[in-house]
Amino acid sequence: MRRLIQFFLASIHNGFTRFATLGVVFFAIWNPCLRLSQGTLQAQEPLTLSTVDFVRDVRPIFENHCYGCHGKDKQKSGFRLDIKSRALHGGDNYGPLIDPSTPGKSPILDWVSNPNPSERMPPNDSGYPALSTDQVEKLKAWIQAGAPWPDGIDTTELPDPKNHWSFKPLNKEHSTLSIDDLVAEKLKRSGLDFSPMATAIQWLRRISFDLHGLPPDPELAKWFSSHHDQPNAYERVVDELLASPRYAERWAQHWLDVVRYADTHGFEVNTERPHAWHYRDYVIQALDNDLPFKEFIRQQIAGDGLGQDTATGFLITASVLLPGQIGADEPSKRLARQDAIDEIVVNIGQSFLGLSIGCARCHDHKFDPITQEDYYAMQAFVAGVEYEDRIVDTPWANEQKTLQELIDKELHAIDQQLRKYEPVARPQSAPADVPNSIENIVRFDPKPARFVKLEIWDANLHPTLGLIEPCIDELEVWTLGNDAKNVALANYGTKATASGSRESQIHKLQHIHDGITGNSSSWMSDQSGRGWVLLELSNVETISKIVWGRDRLGQFNDRTATAYRIQIGTDPNQLEDIQKVLPQRPVVQPTMNLERITPTKTNSLRFTILETSNLEPCIDELEIFNAIGENVALAKHGTKVTSTGDSVSPNRHELRLINDGLYGNSHSWMSDTIGKGSLTFEFANQQHIESIVWGRDREGTYQDRLAIRYRIETLDSNGTWRIVADDSDRSVYPTDPATPKPHTLSNVAAYRLSDVESKAVKELENRRKELQAKRRTSQENQKAFAGKFRTPDPIHLLHRGDPEQPRQSIAPAIPSFFGSIQLDPSASDKQRRLAIADWIASDTNPLTPRVIANRIWQGHFGIGLVETSNDFGLNGTPPTNPELLDWLAVRLIESNWSLKSLHRLIVLSRTYRQVAQSNQAGNSTDADARLLWRYPRRRLEAESLRDSILFVSGQLSLTMYGRGFDLYQQESETLFSAPLIVPMRVKARAYDAPRRLRFKR
Amino acid sequence: MHPLLNRKNFLTQASTALGSIALTSLLSSDRLLASGKSSESAVQIDPANPYAPRAPHFQAKAKNVLVIFCAGAVSQLETWDYKPKLIEWDDRPLPGGPSVTFQGPAGNLARPQYTFRQRGQSGKFVSDLLPHLADLTDDIAFVHSLTSKSNTHGPAENFLSTGFNLDGFPSLGAWVTYALGSQCENLPAYVAIPDPRGVPQNGSNNWGPGFLPAAFQGTTFSASDPVRHLKVADSNETAEAATRKLLEKIQRRHLDQFPDDAQLAARIASYELAARMQLSVPMITDIDREPAHVLKAYGADDSSNKEKAAFARNCILARRLIQSGVRFVQLFNGAYASAGKLNWDGHNDLKNQYDVHAAIMDQPVAALIRDLKASGLLDETLVVWCTEFGRMPFFQKGAKGRDHNPDGFTCWMTGAGIRGGVSHGQTDELGVKAIEDIHPLYDFNATILHLLGLDHERLTYQHNGIQRRLTNVEGAVIQPILR
Repeated sequence: MRRLIQFFLASIHNGFTRFATLGVVFFAIWNPCLRLSQGTLQAQEPLTLSTVDFVRDVRPIFENHCYGCHGKDKQKSGFRLDIKSRALHGGDNYGPLIDPSTPGKSPILDWVSNPNPSERMPPNDSGYPALSTDQVEKLKAWIQAGAPWPDGIDTTELPDPKNHWSFKPLNKEHSTLSIDDLVAEKLKRSGLDFSPMATAIQWLRRISFDLHGLPPDPELAKWFSSHHDQPNAYERVVDELLASPRYAERWAQHWLDVVRYADTHGFEVNTERPHAWHYRDYVIQALDNDLPFKEFIRQQIAGDGLGQDTATGFLITASVLLPGQIGADEPSKRLARQDAIDEIVVNIGQSFLGLSIGCARCHDHKFDPITQEDYYAMQAFVAGVEYEDRIVDTPWANEQKTLQELIDKELHAIDQQLRKYEPVARPQSAPADVPNSIENIVRFDPKPARFVKLEIWDANLHPTLGLIEPCIDELEVWTLGNDAKNVALANYGTKATASGSRESQIHKLQHIHDGITGNSSSWMSDQSGRGWVLLELSNVETISKIVWGRDRLGQFNDRTATAYRIQIGTDPNQLEDIQKVLPQRPVVQPTMNLERITPTKTNSLRFTILETSNLEPCIDELEIFNAIGENVALAKHGTKVTSTGDSVSPNRHELRLINDGLYGNSHSWMSDTIGKGSLTFEFANQQHIESIVWGRDREGTYQDRLAIRYRIETLDSNGTWRIVADDSDRSVYPTDPATPKPHTLSNVAAYRLSDVESKAVKELENRRKELQAKRRTSQENQKAFAGKFRTPDPIHLLHRGDPEQPRQSIAPAIPSFFGSIQLDPSASDKQRRLAIADWIASDTNPLTPRVIANRIWQGHFGIGLVETSNDFGLNGTPPTNPELLDWLAVRLIESNWSLKSLHRLIVLSRTYRQVAQSNQAGNSTDADARLLWRYPRRRLEAESLRDSILFVSGQLSLTMYGRGFDLYQQESETLFSAPLIVPMRVKARAYDAPRRLRFKR
Repeated sequence: MHPLLNRKNFLTQASTALGSIALTSLLSSDRLLASGKSSESAVQIDPANPYAPRAPHFQAKAKNVLVIFCAGAVSQLETWDYKPKLIEWDDRPLPGGPSVTFQGPAGNLARPQYTFRQRGQSGKFVSDLLPHLADLTDDIAFVHSLTSKSNTHGPAENFLSTGFNLDGFPSLGAWVTYALGSQCENLPAYVAIPDPRGVPQNGSNNWGPGFLPAAFQGTTFSASDPVRHLKVADSNETAEAATRKLLEKIQRRHLDQFPDDAQLAARIASYELAARMQLSVPMITDIDREPAHVLKAYGADDSSNKEKAAFARNCILARRLIQSGVRFVQLFNGAYASAGKLNWDGHNDLKNQYDVHAAIMDQPVAALIRDLKASGLLDETLVVWCTEFGRMPFFQKGAKGRDHNPDGFTCWMTGAGIRGGVSHGQTDELGVKAIEDIHPLYDFNATILHLLGLDHERLTYQHNGIQRRLTNVEGAVIQPILR
């Protein structure tokens, strides 16, 4: 038990959620013990109130027994007893331990007086002795007296976050001074001074790498070396560099690093994010246009509503688990979702506010004024964001959309053309013979024959290739009697001819009658799904059996003829049918089914469902085409529909949606009877019907509720319903749920097509395949990895950050220390994101302008004025020059948040123009040059190093934007390569690339 | 030539302008050695000599550590944690058990797939899967009640090796090297020996430095994949010496220009170490020089099982490294996720796959421990056998294997400071989860540090505003397994 307690206390920190349940169990056991011990205590005589003085009697007890773990240095369980406010507040996750309102019942008494040493505080092995009875009594008396704890007597004071520098409004007192004034002021105080100015060329090199990540342009260097002493020469260079797109690229890389951008998902397999680059391009464009930084913030959080649809890629730069990487159990899924939302909060907190909000996921922030409730209120702002691609509204995406529409038109036309070749429905067909791939035997009354012809009309579909060339390993023709022999064999003098053969080592025409079975000695047609073979025997023979197979060794079952005719005769022009297996129409598909019928004139058509794959049948759209290709089922043609009964779900499943011209589950009709239902269409005028098209969900999402047995009838002039199509000539739908559902790529059978027609079909199908691939690409190209937005998840405070321990529900709100912006829980996802963006991007937010001004400074000097650029909280490092930081922040706001203006001020300053050389005085006082007595030497990033090598050797491609390239195959700028979350690229690592990659998680 | 020298050489030859920029970048890269605010970090590192031996917090019981890391999650139920109740309950559903676990629907309970037998004086039941290791039972302290924070291999392997689920944290070996430095002049302080079949799912995180100075990461090589590029083609001693001399000249010149540059000294020191290793590493990886009886004892001569022979050679390498004073050796058994083919991840066909994996692991590891014991090295070497989590007592639906179970699994230690023949902690009678003396892996890591004389709460490094520890804010030494 002792161990349990200890562990329980220890595990209160950060995320050790697995044991949370244990904690609950423990409490259930623990509570009775508490009551017991209270009973013992109450039996004793309480001390009188006047005898207890906090400083004299109580604090020494705390000092000697408790402060070691609950004092200044350690606060186990987040509990400290040396400061009044914290002591009365209690520890993490629990109520107060000292509760004067119910004397004698404070939990602290139970802890210190538990008779069981393994359950007592201080713990046995803590090195602190247990309290004596006398001490316990003192404590009890003190609590009974209302726990009097005078103010101002604590020896330690908690830092008041209100006094924290970064939470205070910007200091605007120094607006008349300059960067150099403010730096000089600090130097002076340390007895230092600026270093000499760098030479013009040194400065040019510095600023080129700094603003462009490349060495100076030779032309510019030439001009500058002879003009640098002219007025405004430096300003001209700066303006030119800032106007170049190279500036935007270079500084976009800095920002992308801040927000952890990558082109892959991370985790072990590091799957590509092929559409992530849109956000990278957005950042470059924003910087190139010097978009005001506060707009930049708003667009990144809520750009979908601000005309910058790809900017929201910012929200989902983090690494997250993909569906296959998340445990199949519900808790794993909940945790993964929490992790995903957490990353957004962390990113927003760090990148814009310099706040480690994420620390409050499991407990109140240990240093900053951010409660656990604040944290979840922040989650609520982004709880509608999913890490997914979204079809975006950008010129590029719209171009792709137009392209897709063109493709769709052509595809539609092809479908129309192919429809002519569809087999006509043969209603009320008898169950068909189903040939097998191993061996098929036809026996018949003995007949004389010299010619035997096998004509293939259709073949089964290859799982990936669809309809391909049929194959026959052996065709045998047997004579009658005891000495029956296979007279087809070539060694009896039999000759074989064929419609055409695809020849290879193993497939040859002669193999069809070589007596060797199996795929490796077989004949293959040269046409998809069709072809014939004719055997000519050397003499007329009396035959009674014909045998054929595709692969009698049973290894292959593709390329099997499924519809065919076997004919024999003595005259090749007058052959007699021995067997005829007509092609079956394909099995019903959830997406779409075509019924080509013998053209019929009618006023009414009835579609009756006799059986479904499961549940009540559902049909998204039923189309009836007349001779001129019009869909006359549509309500707009005056067609009236009645049914035998509907399951209605408004605007989703309704009878009127069967002929509204819209596809998909959300525009469909559903019957009210399991497995059955009937629809009757009554046309305004008599129609000449040629085909009917129907599906369950043409968008392909749903496969259930599929009509697998049905009949279609038209009303003839006598008022009789006549069946025009049904499922009897379709392949049978497998009712065993284990059998994979067959799907077809083509409805067209080769049956009865001429060679010319067959060729036309093939060409149309090829074109269709090509277009479908193009369509997929253009559809993909409309997407950006910019987040999918939906109704926000309800957010709850999670005890210890554990998704399995939800507590009260939490509405979106900014951390209460910073203000009282709160949204109603009914606020939409878009409203939520805009609200948080507006708060961050406000002129009065004390953090936002400081954080970005510091990042810009860091970009120019290597280290920011605040070294911990992601943490401006109480635990971050204070600014080396707070006046300067505020000065920069104020200037930024005054220039309407123009980053280029800020760069300009910095790089033209004397501070920036110093040499980088060291000197004795500076080195002994401030070796890191944090006060900027010289320009700090800096390491060149891997990207710049690589790009520079290509630049000076004249090989750097300056093509901007678009999908990423492979870093080691091309000479484009590194920015446009696909950066990876996990450091896999050995070469980049050698040049320090992992530093920016390693911690991205 | 050492790759670093190569790179340096290239950069100094680059155009003067670019070259000087590159030099600046190299210099600051070496700042890594001095990074972190030394005044705030608990361990004082001399940038000129990051591998200098440093004193532990208190008297250590172990000088060296050998970690045998079995990737893929070895089933505790087929090895060390005997559950006779499971035989009785075979093929029955677990009452109140989960319907879906990590990989999918749960099937029925399944008996241990191997016979368990009592071993040694302690009479502890260990399965027949690992007969050689079972013979060592009396020397081993088992912890049966470990728990992990993740049920996914990568994060759980991170948790085991770094104390955190996420990437980016220093490995146990890096922490130890950071704390104690090196006791060896011509070999790395920390060597990670990958399995011949590949590396675990989370790869180099297992021996990475995280945010600690890169000097403290594990160096990877194995008997079958020795350190590459130690010898330069088309070069000779004279040329190499001349290169080194030139380099030194350049460095001196640089030192004249920037006399305050303390980092240069560090760089020179690391180049010197590299040069010494160039000579000693090829010797130590030359396993063929071992006598035949040693090869046989380890199974390194087993021509019928190539993977076992290759792993056995790694075991011999591990012994040699420890013998030569390498403080921290990590020996990997099993590779990445591969449907259980290349590691212990027995989801579908556990018994058949474990037959294969055990045959590779058992004899060589047992021989290694025996060898250390015979030479007296085991008195100062802590041997740790670990895996990232355990497996469920039931099979997966429609499969003959067990799903991930982070709620109660077994790892063990033997050697320096360890009480042999101890079984500490318990899982419930079916092995679903730990119920007694529950120890998250934090405790296991805290215990390893303790044996090295390190207080896991005091071994810290200031990073991004936080004093980081291997054990985060958790961890308690598992005293009952200590001698």
